[in-house]
Formats: sequence, C-alpha cells, structure tokens
Amino acid sequence: MSAGFEATGRVTLRPPRLVMRLARLGSLHQCRLSFMRVLLRRLQREGWQFTRPVFDIDARGVGSAVYSASGPARTYSLVCFAHDLPPEQRSDRVIASAWDSTFTLFDGVPSEDDIARLAQNVPKQEAGRVTSREISLSRANRSVRLFEHVVASLAAGRQPDLERIEAVGYLMRTTAVYGSGKFGAVDREGVAARPEFAAPFQAEMLSVFLIRAFTLDLAEHLARARAPETAVRIAPALRRRFGVGNSTGLGLAPFIVNHPVLFNNWITAREKALARVRSLDGAGGIEVGRFCEMLARARLNARQWRSEHPIQIAKLKQLDTDLARLEAHVGSGVLREPAPWDGLYRWAEENLSLEGCEQLVSLLLEPYGDLVDDLADAMSADEAAAFWIDGAMELGRFQAIVHDVYGWALECDWADPVNIARVWYVSEEKLEPRLGERFEEPIERFEQPLAPGRDAAAMHRDIEAWAGEPSVAAFLLHHPEHRHIARRAQIAARFPYAEIRDNTISATMLPIDLLRCKLSFFGATHFDPRSDRWVRINMFQNAPFPHELAAADADDWTYPPLPEATR
Amino acid sequence: MIVSLNEIEAMAKRATRGAGHAWGFAEEAGKAARWLAGHGLGGAEQLAALLTENDGAAYGELVPISGDRVWRAGSGRLSPLIAGAALSDRASEIAAGREINIGPIAFPLLLAPYAAAAARLTGATFELTWAGVEIILAPGGVAIETAGSALTAPWVVSVRCRRSGRTVVVRPAGTGATTVDAGVWSQLGALAHRTYAPASEASRIAGAGAGLTDND
Repeated sequence: MSAGFEATGRVTLRPPRLVMRLARLGSLHQCRLSFMRVLLRRLQREGWQFTRPVFDIDARGVGSAVYSASGPARTYSLVCFAHDLPPEQRSDRVIASAWDSTFTLFDGVPSEDDIARLAQNVPKQEAGRVTSREISLSRANRSVRLFEHVVASLAAGRQPDLERIEAVGYLMRTTAVYGSGKFGAVDREGVAARPEFAAPFQAEMLSVFLIRAFTLDLAEHLARARAPETAVRIAPALRRRFGVGNSTGLGLAPFIVNHPVLFNNWITAREKALARVRSLDGAGGIEVGRFCEMLARARLNARQWRSEHPIQIAKLKQLDTDLARLEAHVGSGVLREPAPWDGLYRWAEENLSLEGCEQLVSLLLEPYGDLVDDLADAMSADEAAAFWIDGAMELGRFQAIVHDVYGWALECDWADPVNIARVWYVSEEKLEPRLGERFEEPIERFEQPLAPGRDAAAMHRDIEAWAGEPSVAAFLLHHPEHRHIARRAQIAARFPYAEIRDNTISATMLPIDLLRCKLSFFGATHFDPRSDRWVRINMFQNAPFPHELAAADADDWTYPPLPEATR
Repeated sequence: MIVSLNEIEAMAKRATRGAGHAWGFAEEAGKAARWLAGHGLGGAEQLAALLTENDGAAYGELVPISGDRVWRAGSGRLSPLIAGAALSDRASEIAAGREINIGPIAFPLLLAPYAAAAARLTGATFELTWAGVEIILAPGGVAIETAGSALTAPWVVSVRCRRSGRTVVVRPAGTGATTVDAGVWSQLGALAHRTYAPASEASRIAGAGAGLTDND
C-alpha cells in the first residue's frame, strides 16, 4: 500500500492521514499547479491569439458577443448573451432561472446559424440544450454595488474608486460553469486528447478567463452609450484589479467524493511538488529572493481578503499572525542552513495554524517552476481504469486495506446521532445537491452514498462475521449493499489520497472545507464563506487580460503586486 | 433525443438506484449504459425495460444461486445487472479457464459491458454466446456476430461466458453523443426521479445554505 509514496529525493510525501483531513483541505491555497495558472502559462507559451469578432450589444446592455481564442491547432469561442435582468430576479442560487449574462464555449468559430441556435438555448441554461459543438455552459450576475459605480464613473469621465473595487473585486459573479457533457455538451472523452485540455477543467477556466474580458468590455461599452462625450476607458492597471466572482454552493462538495482517482491525482501532484522542494539541499539567492517577495505579497493578499463569516474572519486573523511569524523566522537566517525548505516546512508544521502551514506549502513552490510545473500534466485521471472491483482479492488482504484507509472510522461510534447527523441528498429542484438533518427531516431514504467512513465501518463489521468463501466476490454477492464502499476501498488502496480521512456526515462537518479545497485547485483566491455551505471567491483577479497576455508575465498575478515604494 | 454519454451514465445510475438496486449496482449500470451507448449498441431501452420488469423484486429473486458452472436465479430469471457484476467479480477465474452458463436471463446484451470490464481487468479476451449471437470482448474493443434481433432479446435460456482464443478485429468505443428514444428517456427519468427529495422551502434555505440576499 505504498503506491505513490516513492521518495522524490530525501523527503517523502506527507501521509494521507495528515493531508486528507477536512480542516486541512479546507485551508488550501492556490498554487503553481492550480488550473487557472496552468491555463495561462500554456496560452502564453503557445502564443494564443484573441479576437472579438462580434460585439452587438445595445445601450441597455442587451445583445450578444463572441470572444475567440486561437491556439496552434484549434480555435474556441466564448459566445456571450447579455440580458436586461430586473433586480428582483437576480439570485446567485443555482436554482435561479434568469441571469444578467449567459455563456457557452463553442468548439471553433460560430456561424450566424450557430449563434441563432445558441440564442434559443444558452439563455435558458439548464432548461435549454446544447450540442457536442459546445464545451461549457455558464452564466453570471452583476455585482450591483460595483457595476453601476463603475459604469457611472466611466460615463462621467472618472476612474472608478479603488477602495470600492477592492471591496468587491469583480463586476460579475458566475453561479455555475458546466462542462463534461452536461445538458448535451461534448463529453470529456470528446476533447480530453487535445493537449490544451489535458489538465483538468481547462475549458471551464478558459471560459471564465474570456468572461472576465467580456465583463470589463460591457461596462466600458455601457458607459460610452450613456455619455459618448465624456466617457473614458478604465486605466489598464485598475482594470487588472477586476476578477470574475464565483458563488458556489454545495454542488461542488460531492464532486471530490465522487471522483476519488481525480482527487487523488490533484493532491498527489501538490504533495510531490512539496516533497521535491523540501528535498533541495540548499536555496540560491534568486530563489530566496523570489520566496521572500511572494511571502510579502501573500501577506498583502491576506490583508485584502475580506470575509464577513466568523469562521473565516478567525482564520484570516490567524493567517495574518502566521505570515508575520513566518517572515520573522525567515528573517532570522534559517534559509542559509542545509535543506532550508524542509527545515522551514517542519518549523511551520510545529508553529503555524493549518491556514499558515498550507499557505507556506503554496509559497514554497513559487520559486521552483522548473522543478514542479511538469506535475500538472499528471492531474487528470482515467477513472474508468480504476472503477471495476477486483473480486479475486482475498478478504484478509481486503480487511487490511480497510484498516489502513478507514482506521479512523473503525474507532468512531456510528450509533451516536452526532456522528450521523447529516444526510447528503439530491433535491428534485434542478437536481441540486443538498445537506439535511437526518433526525429532523424525512430525507434519509434519499441519502446519497457520500459517507465513506460510516459505510466502511459497516462493511468491516459484516466481513468480521462472514464465514463463507474468503473472497471479495463471494462476500459482495451476499452483501450487495457494500459494493459501493468496497470499490472505494480498493481505489484508495491504489490511490493513497483518494479518500478523505474524516466524517462527512457529522453534525460538526463544514461543507465549505470541501468547497474551498476544490476551488483552491481551480486557482481561486479570497474565499469568502457566506454560510457553512456556500462560498464566494474571486477568479483571475490581477491576471493579464487576453490582449495583454503575450507581453505580460502570465504567471505572476495570483498574489497582488507590492506597492511601488516597497519594491 | 441526442444526449451525451455523461448524461446517459448519470441517468442510468439514478434510474437503477431509483428502481431499488444497491448503489454499487447503480454505479456499474451507469458505466454499462455508457459503454453500450459509446459502442453504438443502444442499451437504454433494454435497461429501462429491465428496471421496469424487476421493479420491486427482492434481491434474492434476481441473484445467481451459484453453482460452479451454472448460474440461475430463484425467480427463474436472472438480472444482467447482478449477474454482470458477479461476472466481472469472477473475471480472473474465467480468464483462467472457468466456463459459466448463465440463465435463464433477461436482456443478455446488458451483460456485455461487464464482460468487457472483465477483459480489461485481466487482459484476456472473453466471449459471450447465446442463440444467434456471439460477442467477442477484447481488452481493446468489441466484435459482434449476430442474426437479426437476437442481440436485443428480452430474455434467453442461457448465455455462455468463457475465455476466447480467437483474435478478431474489434471496434473501439466512440466518444460522441448518441440518440435515445424520448419515451425510453422519460421512463428512465421517472425511475431516477424517485431518488430526488421533494423540494420544500425549508430545504431550499437550510439544505443549500443560502438565504442571504444575493443582490449585491
């Protein structure tokens, strides 16, 4: 059961029992391997070209636009539909039925007929149908408080107020970006062989990258329409401060439980990257300089990161303290010692909170692109290959796996209502995943299989009592209720970071931990929980825009720039 | 209607669960439906008919009562979802030379994805044969010889499954969307619907965790 634990140098990978806890996963930060960064590095390396062949939007903000991105082999086009949404219809909930703008990523350059077909379907989102020519489907709502301020300022010939921009960070929030065959779109297999989509979620990230350009163009367009005489464009430096917001509810949480091999590959890549850096014998001056710069920028990022949620406010306060301590510790000269990064990590594990410790993990990768960026190529997964149960496995060996992966669960009291308080279920309303209270709502019969710990403990008990042929095949023929968890256990034996080593249905579980973990791999910043199961984030803030990408540093934007005076 | 393979898998999984099967079987039925559609073999119609036919049946009536060489069900009619799972679980034994006769069994075409999985698991080539049909399942694809409608028979007396020594030209899976009869799709949808909890205002607010104004 040591698959994936090969030493990448002196330092081995951190064990799953340390990494795969909800509190730690809920403290992850974006890093070099995050999917937005992987995308922009590729777009720049390959010299992608960006055009806006259609921008047909009226003074009220209604119409359509097309943004095309052309790489070495193919062109993709974001088809945008802008609407005039009455304020009372604006909702971030996935169950909404109208949005300020709707989008699809088209495979190629759409003809007028394509745009006419899409105009009949894309604005309806889940209630419409797209085809295998489309790769993603998404929508966004304006940030009312910022959008109007920006349009009014520009129309009056002024730049919008920096403080107001920073308080929100985006003009529009997406509420879903669907891909992988949803609502008739092309299946993942249909595009997975294309190099530009080899890393996970690249089509979705490309969609959001182009949506960001659209939101700024739309605001400038509306300002010009409102006051053609006086309107100005946003200053380029200020423009960069805008990202795309995203509001994410529980829908993402089951994803990482339902895709164990994929999840394993994400975590494995990050852990290997960490082990490679920790294994270095020394740190050069350039690398130390880069690390210190990024640490200072991470402190700035932490201070700009706003949240009204008490849990996140406490975590941010701790993060700020942690980063101050980290700066002081680094300043004491520890990076001149042998194996400096390993020493620094060990110090952090002893002295910092999970927020600070995982922020350091991300920062350690920053100076070492040449050493770690190739790991992004291994973050996708052939899930079908690991799906089928090995029925020939002998039960003794299988029980050893269960002990290894689910040891924590075998010690848990699953009769205690606190430990089984929650039920994951799917609502008939837009098939939205939800979390309910087992002992307060009539929902248990709709329970989704998202409690691996509880299920493994039940299977373990039945195997102990099993007196038949000692094979997985024979046991499962008589206990079909355990087929689901048996599959997971066998997957986790081969993929050590596949399984969360924590209770996903306890009364104290925080769904936002799962959401943040996934969103950090996307490359999101400024996680702002709106409740324990709903989080807002910012995407591509400070990144170059498509037209700037060729001349800009494509991978130096995830932490805010330092003020000029301190550089 | 035209649906993606992802949609077929999700629908088949939910419908199988909705029809009362354990989650593990539902997951495999989803993969099976995806495999059949991806190979241009349909499958959604057979799955919908099977789930409807077995709706409410106890597991004990559908499961193979294991003999060494012959698998039968207590009810007289095996479910290919359950026999298929047992077949892939016994992949290495069949690859090692064990021959199994399965039947009577409903919708034998639905066994093919499970035998295909067994082929991939073991690296061996398998064959499924019943009256008028021979299907060769190699790790890299499938080859089918069939006469008329025998491939989609609603039931057969017996299916033989064994390792095959033949080498055939196989067709690999496609990756595109596929057409499903709208009536079949809504039949599956009705079964899938049983897995969804009715919406209530309480769950809308508490369950999804929203409730704050989003209009900012």
